[in-house]
Amino acid sequence: MMRKILKNEWTVKIGSAVIALAAFCMLWQAVTVFTGMGDFLPGPAETFAEFFRRFVKPYGKAVLPMHMWSSLRRILIGYTVASAVAIVLGIVMGTYRIADAIVMPLFNIIRPIPPVAWIPLAILWFGIGDASKYFLVFLATFLSVLQNAYAGARSADPVLVGAARMLGANDGFIFRTITLPCAVPYIFSGLQNGLTAAWGQVVASEMIRSSAGVGWIIIRGMDNNDILQELVGILTIGIIGFILAASMRGVEAKLCRWTTRGK
Amino acid sequence: MEKNSDLKFKVISCCSVIGFIAVWYLCTDILQLTTDITLPGPVKVLHTFIDKFTNKSPDGGTLLQHMWSSLRVALSGYAMGIIIGVPLGILMAWYRPVDLLARPVFDFVKAIPGLAWAPLLIILLGIGFMSKAVTIFVAALTPCVLNAYAGVKQTREVHMWVARTFGATRRQMLFKVAIPTALPHIMTGIRVALGSAWMSIVAAELIASSSGLGYMIQQCRGIYRPDVIIVGMLMIGFIGSVLTWIIGIIERAVVKGQTHDA
Amino acid sequence: MQMDNTGKIEVMIQCSHVEKTFFTRMTSTPVIRDLDLKVRKNEFVVLFGPGQCGKTTVLNVMAGLETATSGTVTVNGKEVSTPGPDRGFVYQTTALFPWYTVMQNVEYGPRARGMSKKERREKAQYYIDLVGLQGFEDKFPNQLSGGMQQRVGIARAYCNEPSVLFMDEPFGHLDAQTRYLMQEEIIRIWEKEKRTVVFVTNNIEEAVYLADRVVVLTNCPTSVKKEYQIDLPRPRNYTDDRFLELRTEIQSIVDKTL
Repeated sequence: MMRKILKNEWTVKIGSAVIALAAFCMLWQAVTVFTGMGDFLPGPAETFAEFFRRFVKPYGKAVLPMHMWSSLRRILIGYTVASAVAIVLGIVMGTYRIADAIVMPLFNIIRPIPPVAWIPLAILWFGIGDASKYFLVFLATFLSVLQNAYAGARSADPVLVGAARMLGANDGFIFRTITLPCAVPYIFSGLQNGLTAAWGQVVASEMIRSSAGVGWIIIRGMDNNDILQELVGILTIGIIGFILAASMRGVEAKLCRWTTRGK
Repeated sequence: MEKNSDLKFKVISCCSVIGFIAVWYLCTDILQLTTDITLPGPVKVLHTFIDKFTNKSPDGGTLLQHMWSSLRVALSGYAMGIIIGVPLGILMAWYRPVDLLARPVFDFVKAIPGLAWAPLLIILLGIGFMSKAVTIFVAALTPCVLNAYAGVKQTREVHMWVARTFGATRRQMLFKVAIPTALPHIMTGIRVALGSAWMSIVAAELIASSSGLGYMIQQCRGIYRPDVIIVGMLMIGFIGSVLTWIIGIIERAVVKGQTHDA
Repeated sequence: MQMDNTGKIEVMIQCSHVEKTFFTRMTSTPVIRDLDLKVRKNEFVVLFGPGQCGKTTVLNVMAGLETATSGTVTVNGKEVSTPGPDRGFVYQTTALFPWYTVMQNVEYGPRARGMSKKERREKAQYYIDLVGLQGFEDKFPNQLSGGMQQRVGIARAYCNEPSVLFMDEPFGHLDAQTRYLMQEEIIRIWEKEKRTVVFVTNNIEEAVYLADRVVVLTNCPTSVKKEYQIDLPRPRNYTDDRFLELRTEIQSIVDKTL
């Protein structure tokens, strides 16, 4: 019974999503065909066709998938390293007050500076190559994951810690079996925010200085006054961002079964 | 005893900041490990900071002029984002057909960083106030919509029933029950939108602009003036904190007695 | 009455002159004042008192979750200062670990003390069966009803084989029917696996139904007001004349609070 309702709910949701996107595209197409806007704004059909054409026809030196790969490589490397460092540091800060007291004030000075504001300095320090992009992605991810890992490590329910102690657990065992699982949902929300921030950061840093990547596509489109290229670029950015976010949710659902299962 | 240890950790925190500046000073001004075109010392940065209030070189504006320019654009776009985003989110949550049709489009749009719209908007609207303001608007819109939406969606059924028992019309239920319930979420959205608006203005100014803090630091990269860049970054961070602080005060005033986990 | 070989009464828990005061920056609130209490081995003692009288604090001090401001608590001859596996605790709200299954929750204590997987699984299975949860080993706590969650809590406390069990209003959040059922269950389990139990409740029927001895506490700051031996045979009946008589008598001496 429950499963049937759930299934129907999904059918409605997916169905309406398809209808909604189709309706959106039709509206867009209609606007370009029937109004003067068509003179400079390409329609969806043209945009999608161009999107696929660019899989073989290069933008600049590389075809579209290669640009995607440039951006993805930057995000994957910077994001992975930053997440690992931030999770460890955040948990250490949440567990040991001395680490908290040392790092927190410095972090509080850096935190309000939006990651994009580091772009000029990063270029000065690391040049215009990939090194500066890794640094920038690292920074964007680090800021948001650290805060959450820290909050997560401090979120351990004192009643549960007491219960574990009552059952004979020592500090190390409590850390592994209580503190870490309590922190996991927080860490995941940090990882998700971090991924969004990192994706924005990659696009921004490519827009400002680069020779490949999806951010480069849209900035080159701007220089050439090429709206079609803009639309293809935005579409690509949206698709990749969507896939990144969705895969993150998938991993979370797998790892945090106890919070979602049975609800 | 508790008080003493609090004090101890406060002292450690102060030492940490002082230590950081000392190491910075030591590496730059004393040991000369870096040059002025990579990392200037703290004294130089402080000097530039004071100087920049009156000195227009090297980027054609004083610190306050750039600040005002950035704030003007950011706040106009931000205000538009709130005025349109919050009602849109409420509508999406309240009317199911709007929800079913608008939500998928939004799920896709929110995957695009606000900044990515900037080049398209620059082509369409030219470099200037409008294209930047609209970029900020897009960046601020998404958090406003999504949080207002989530807020209205979580209205407790039982409150609705109470309202219905007292004979409330659907309109009254929206304004007297659903929206007040959603207020904490709406305020969260407004706060998150501020961060994303402030970030986007800096980014937009980095890409194409002729004034503003983002423009200032971008120009100074070209002429190797990291001291001005660092002053600009700290200023950007400082203004961001002040704005967040103001929103926090408004949030606490509006959301009396309602707690909510972000 | 439980005696050891020499014929002396074996005392399991002894509280002497226990005081507990909570300090905040400006105020100090005395919660326990000069509390003396002895609990015999394998006795089922119920602490009963009005509203917020500090019953839970008494239990926490005995368990070692909080330290007494002055006075001593000994369990099995050893002075209590920290939590430890020789004492078990069943919580008011189920303090189960939500990320562990029923089995993993129950075997937590033995696992913490380094017992091999095979051994602790066996032991946990025994107690899961004892509380009647066979078939639910792989469920997560949020998939269980309130009564079942409390059964897991009881099995978890038992599985560590402590000499003393503390129970802090474990049935407080259950509905009336489940509560009656759980009262029968806890007695059944206790009769099968005898332990010294200190049980806190604010429900007078529950107290009389469960206890060998009911200890009535005064209002805050709390100490022992009066004790009643409940000499009714088990299983008890809520409508038995002697039951009602005891109930009325205890009711009459309890401090009234809002």
